[in-house]
Amino acid sequence: MSETGIGVAIKRVEDLRFLTGNGHYTDDINQPDQSHAWILRSPHAHAKLNAVDTTKAESAPGVIAIFTGVDMAADGVGGLPCGWQIHNKDGSPMAEPGHPPLAVDKVRHVGDQIAIVIAETRDQARDAAELISVDYGILDAAINMDAALAGTTLVHDDVPNNRCFDWEIGDKDATDAAFGNADHVVSIDLANNRLIPNAMEPRAAISEFDRTTGRYTLYTTTQNPHVIRLLMGAFVLNIPEHKLRIVAPDVGGGFGSKIFHYAEEAILTWAAAKVHRPIKWTAERSESFVTDAHGRDHETHAELALDKDGKFLGLRRRDQGQCGALTSQPSARASRPISTRHFWRVCTRHRRFMPKCRPYSPTLSRWDAYRGAGRPECTYLLERLVSKAARDLGFDPVELRQKEHDSGRPVPLSDTGRAPVRLWGFPGDIRKRPKGIRL
Amino acid sequence: MPTISMTVNGKSVSAEVEARTLLVQYLRESLGLTGTHVGCDTSQCGACVVHVNGESLKSCTMLAAQAEGADVTTIEGLANGDELHPMQEAFRENHGLQCGFCTPGMVMSALDLVQKNADPSEREVREWLEGNLCRCTGYHNIVKSILAGAKALRG
Ligand code: FES
Ligand code: FES
Repeated sequence: MSETGIGVAIKRVEDLRFLTGNGHYTDDINQPDQSHAWILRSPHAHAKLNAVDTTKAESAPGVIAIFTGVDMAADGVGGLPCGWQIHNKDGSPMAEPGHPPLAVDKVRHVGDQIAIVIAETRDQARDAAELISVDYGILDAAINMDAALAGTTLVHDDVPNNRCFDWEIGDKDATDAAFGNADHVVSIDLANNRLIPNAMEPRAAISEFDRTTGRYTLYTTTQNPHVIRLLMGAFVLNIPEHKLRIVAPDVGGGFGSKIFHYAEEAILTWAAAKVHRPIKWTAERSESFVTDAHGRDHETHAELALDKDGKFLGLRRRDQGQCGALTSQPSARASRPISTRHFWRVCTRHRRFMPKCRPYSPTLSRWDAYRGAGRPECTYLLERLVSKAARDLGFDPVELRQKEHDSGRPVPLSDTGRAPVRLWGFPGDIRKRPKGIRL
Repeated sequence: MPTISMTVNGKSVSAEVEARTLLVQYLRESLGLTGTHVGCDTSQCGACVVHVNGESLKSCTMLAAQAEGADVTTIEGLANGDELHPMQEAFRENHGLQCGFCTPGMVMSALDLVQKNADPSEREVREWLEGNLCRCTGYHNIVKSILAGAKALRG
């Protein structure tokens, strides 16, 4: 065996700097003449912005400038796009309401951005933000699926019933026929709770504008600098790619939540050209809770059709999720059903049909892909369903999976779009599982 | 504005700071010692742990002025040139870190544990880490690293 090849433990190159305190995370960076930003956020889930009065705050010590959504809109700044849309089952496009970086007419979740205060120090910016007076016209909130579904509170006036899309996939007739011929049908209802990714490093950014060249630079806590350059440059700020540089320094965890382009990145980049100073912003953990893209948050009903010997015949699944008040991107609304679909195909070769996958927009923080982006949820669903089938019908849970595995052909390449994958839980591994893991 | 003086990593430092300045702000912003991190605003994550007069403390939960005259050690003060401290080396050997954001706090916390308890059990390590959060590793390799570091330090 060589000293550096397969089977040899390799020391990570980055560990030396991380272990000695020489990592280079975004908040560790400071630029000459840098100013500091604090973002004023909504304490309400849903409210009209009747008036935002910044007069008093503007004369607070150290304040350089304060901007609101009205200023950005007047400058022609666009909304944050969803970079990966999906169509409804009737072929119409999904609802994609506007997502202004700073709220204009109303706030749609706790933590929604209202104003940016730029000052000499972070404490001064924060103190001044407390002097901004906002006249909120508080509206009803829709903070769960039932409330969002009822549609009595519209998060976006132009999105009826708060429905983002209604999507389906599979072969309905063949699946229904398989269920019609089944000896047994086992069903399960699962809820995957909403969660906050909570990387240990809070989000942060530093923006710079060089007025002699018209170039922008943004240092940001991102897993995805190229896509941010594309989305922010082309869709939000109208900056050509060659004038926009995005730097991703060391990132203190992301788990997907730092893939997406966030409003603060656009606000800071835009504002740097207004104040002609670098601007630094770092979120507090409390802000991470209400503004990082949340994960999961959906409810599933699934059914498995079996013959009398326990052979699987078909699978049906219905899914509803809460996608949050504002579009996330690049993949908010689409990533989960698509990843789930992919994985679902890999894991079952039977007649399958997903009649409904419908995200709704309640007055909650944005929602997006998190750790696995649909695959963990899909695995959880399938394993729970098969275990329930074994329990309800009196099969051994390992044997039921083994039988399914042995009877199978590998999933054809064309069906998965990727490499062929063997089916059903890799029975050897199932047998070797640690004691205490029950199926 | 009060003037504060203390020793940080063996060096005397002194500065005028706003009274509300936290020790972690002073370390990061005035002294440029950015190895000490801020992961929360509720004293829960432990990314900010440093030693003050030999004891591990959360530097986000203490005013800089409260460290007046104190002897402060941060993660930057552990390695001897290119030679890592045995606890740092143990983290490196045992893959005790991924993104590295929690790591300085973990190492500083671990060192306080082993100076109080040179031969901790796995359970004692896990209990000691109650105030340090990591979102990447699942803790297992951090615990392994600390046990290995303690062993190396016992010699
Ligand atoms: S920064 Fe989280 S405990 Fe100090
Ligand atoms: S290594 Fe990333 S938080 Fe611990």
